Amino acid sequence: MTASERLLLQHRAQDGPLRILAASGQLGYGIPEAALQRGLARKPHVIGCDMGSIDPGPYYLGSGEMAAPAAMVYRDLELVLTAAVAQGIPLIIGSAGTAGARPQLDATVAMVRTIAQARGLRFRLTTVASDVAAEPVVQALLAGRLTPIGPMPLPSEVEIRHCSHIVGQCGTETLARALREPTDVLIAGRACDTAVFATLPEMLGYPVGLCQHMAKIIECTSLCCQPSARDAMLAELDMDGFTLESMNPLAHATPASVAAHALYEQADPFEVDEPTGTLLLQQAQYQALDAHRTRVSGAQWRPRGQATLKIEGAARVGERCVLLAGVADPTLLAELDNILQAVETRVRQLVPGDWALYPHVYGQGAVWPLPPAQQSRHEAGLIVEFIAHSADLARTAAGVFKQNLLHHGFAGRHCSAGNLAFAFTPSELNAGTAYRFVLYHVMQAAPLAALFQVETCTVDGSPSGARQ
Amino acid sequence: MRTDDAAPPPATLADLTQVLRSKNAGPTLLTLDLFFKDAAGYARAAASPALSAPAVAALYQVAPAQVQRHLLPSLLAIKYALPRRVCAGTPGDGDVYGAQQHVPLLGIVP
Repeated sequence: MTASERLLLQHRAQDGPLRILAASGQLGYGIPEAALQRGLARKPHVIGCDMGSIDPGPYYLGSGEMAAPAAMVYRDLELVLTAAVAQGIPLIIGSAGTAGARPQLDATVAMVRTIAQARGLRFRLTTVASDVAAEPVVQALLAGRLTPIGPMPLPSEVEIRHCSHIVGQCGTETLARALREPTDVLIAGRACDTAVFATLPEMLGYPVGLCQHMAKIIECTSLCCQPSARDAMLAELDMDGFTLESMNPLAHATPASVAAHALYEQADPFEVDEPTGTLLLQQAQYQALDAHRTRVSGAQWRPRGQATLKIEGAARVGERCVLLAGVADPTLLAELDNILQAVETRVRQLVPGDWALYPHVYGQGAVWPLPPAQQSRHEAGLIVEFIAHSADLARTAAGVFKQNLLHHGFAGRHCSAGNLAFAFTPSELNAGTAYRFVLYHVMQAAPLAALFQVETCTVDGSPSGARQ
Repeated sequence: MRTDDAAPPPATLADLTQVLRSKNAGPTLLTLDLFFKDAAGYARAAASPALSAPAVAALYQVAPAQVQRHLLPSLLAIKYALPRRVCAGTPGDGDVYGAQQHVPLLGIVP
């Protein structure tokens, strides 16, 4: 019998709390092993890992590459996979490979198969593909069923079709469909962070508001603690509430730290929209059990008639080359904006074609606008992005810009041998393809069952499996 | 000469808060979370015109109606949500995670 079948058949809420272990909030950046082992010793019923996010920007969704280093992803997957399979605990991994698009799901599954072979593991694997084809999104656009989230323009039909990947965030409705398949390990493409941790508890009949609130807090593991940490986090859930406990003895879940975390990355502190409803936190209570653990109760749930779908899409903008240099001459610093514009004008005459330039002048307001009086006269760091249809054109514009800026003459110039300090050469570096988000929208009335493909197979790396 | 008669400099949000952070809430929105050290600091900030939603909108150069403010007295916290200037990671963006957009608030005297 698979781990999910055993749990769903045998666990009854009246038997005692359900223990959910959040092993990683960012799988692939190094799961702290001591805390994971302490969590495993507590005999969790479910192990969950979040592997991705939209936070790292459009590059990962656009390119289909993983943000985390492959060797570290392998290490972390090996840790949780061997533990879960050995103990017969369902393992749920969401947002495979950063953005949860098909190439990232495939790369994650391939790594899991390699680990199974290397460690002789045999298990039932279920996958959920979260990719959304352009056509249904275009149809939704034309039918007025596409709603921006925040100040996002409605895309054109052409922009939608130009997205290299479009994914939908699957929620508990889809992961529950997947977990009704006999499953030891579930790997989902793009998934709601909360669904990874809330689905099995909801299927077992725990109150949805509590499941979702619990999931929202533990999806970042011990980030909800004081001091915050990256170690595994345990939630013990019953019908009236849940108890939070970090598996790092030095990271304490306090009422204040847990309540504060409920605000994290959230526009509204009291109402959190999820695909199948809205989590209501007005009545939430946080109570210290001791210096290390907090008991949480009171969250309510307002179900939605039809689950909504949040979709994300990224499209290629062009190829990027970046110029890196320092500037220290005070006269140059005072005139830098004008000088950059003058150099750009000259370079546009020398390098025709469609290329864009984005200067970031660190020390003079690159991160936040700075009044001229506060701008650095000691030194500034210059990063100039060049984006063009081809890498050659971006590189050409960057190289010509660099040389013209290096030797640009200006009134009061002392530094006639050169205007720039390079930390190394080449100082212009190809930075790969640039993407931008085109879709960050809610798609109403999406056919979820048709969009999210659930597949299941046996992975057999055991010696007997290898002989077959 | 005694120097301790001089009035102390007015307390800024950097002085009054234990956490003052910014972060994306998705690629289109920014959230600002202010957690105060004590009830007096929270009360002063919550009542201050300098921290009203329109005042924060002016500070971040967005339309007043685009800033939502939530008061959380039980947490001694104030939360704002507002649109980002550009969608995260679009060429020209200077802060993909939105994690360094809290700075304009640090020097505010409520």
